[in-house]
Amino acid sequence: MSELFPRKQVMGFLFSLLLTAVALAVYFFDMSYAAGMTILLVTAFVQAGLQLVVFMHAGETKDKGAIYTNVYYGVFIALVTIFGTLLCMIWGYV
Amino acid sequence: MKIDHSLPLEYSTEENRLKVLGFWIFLGAEIMLFATLFASYFTLVNRTGNGPAGADIFEITPVLMETIVLLTSSFTIGLGVHAMRLRNKKAMLSFFAVTLLLGAGFLAVEISEFVHYVHIGAGLQTSAFTSILLTTLGTHGAHVTLGIFWGLFIMLQVKQRGLTPETANKSFIFSLYWHFLDVVWIFIFSFIYLKGMM
Repeated sequence: MSELFPRKQVMGFLFSLLLTAVALAVYFFDMSYAAGMTILLVTAFVQAGLQLVVFMHAGETKDKGAIYTNVYYGVFIALVTIFGTLLCMIWGYV
Repeated sequence: MKIDHSLPLEYSTEENRLKVLGFWIFLGAEIMLFATLFASYFTLVNRTGNGPAGADIFEITPVLMETIVLLTSSFTIGLGVHAMRLRNKKAMLSFFAVTLLLGAGFLAVEISEFVHYVHIGAGLQTSAFTSILLTTLGTHGAHVTLGIFWGLFIMLQVKQRGLTPETANKSFIFSLYWHFLDVVWIFIFSFIYLKGMM
């Protein structure tokens, strides 16, 4: 039975619950916007990385390079889209 | 078809390996899809008009339930793939079943949340904020709904045909999709709900 619960994945799961608990701090404690956003950015991206490496087996085959390049490219375009939009729609640099 | 027995079943042919790579490329496109939704959300989050703001309508209990249920389902499908690699079909199908049940539980909470929003006057047409909120949440929820049916059909195939290179490959790709939905939810949880309630 225990072979069905590999240590790596159990630890990954516990760590993801811990990250969720840390992120909840921004709700339960009074803190500045900057401090709250820093906590959320760190916990969200660590959580995403954890899923990618522990659960999605991203680095397992010889396609590792292609898979990571593709993910980084997707994330890069995502960040450019989001921050580009913020830059011209919210922060006012038209 | 050349089968390499040194690799896990889902990668055992070149076609299978390339299908996994192809699915990662699809997930790259999905990242960008959700990025456009988040970009619109951050632009419109303060355009509440006469409607409520996020802080007025978000409640921590259902959001936390959804998060824990989805995180757990991401864990159980990971265990399902692990069991598949041990060629334990029964354990694999059980883990997949638990995953899909948790997915259904997530959807139940989300649907009741949507009903609640509409009930308190935060429908799709109330303000720019509520419309992008419900569009972003709804796009994720639609993905979960699709995933539940997809997973169900995969389970049926594994049950009927057993663990072959094809069914193992399909199951593994489905697990990638499911983990990805969990990743998207983490960003919704952090940057829509928690940021809104901060």
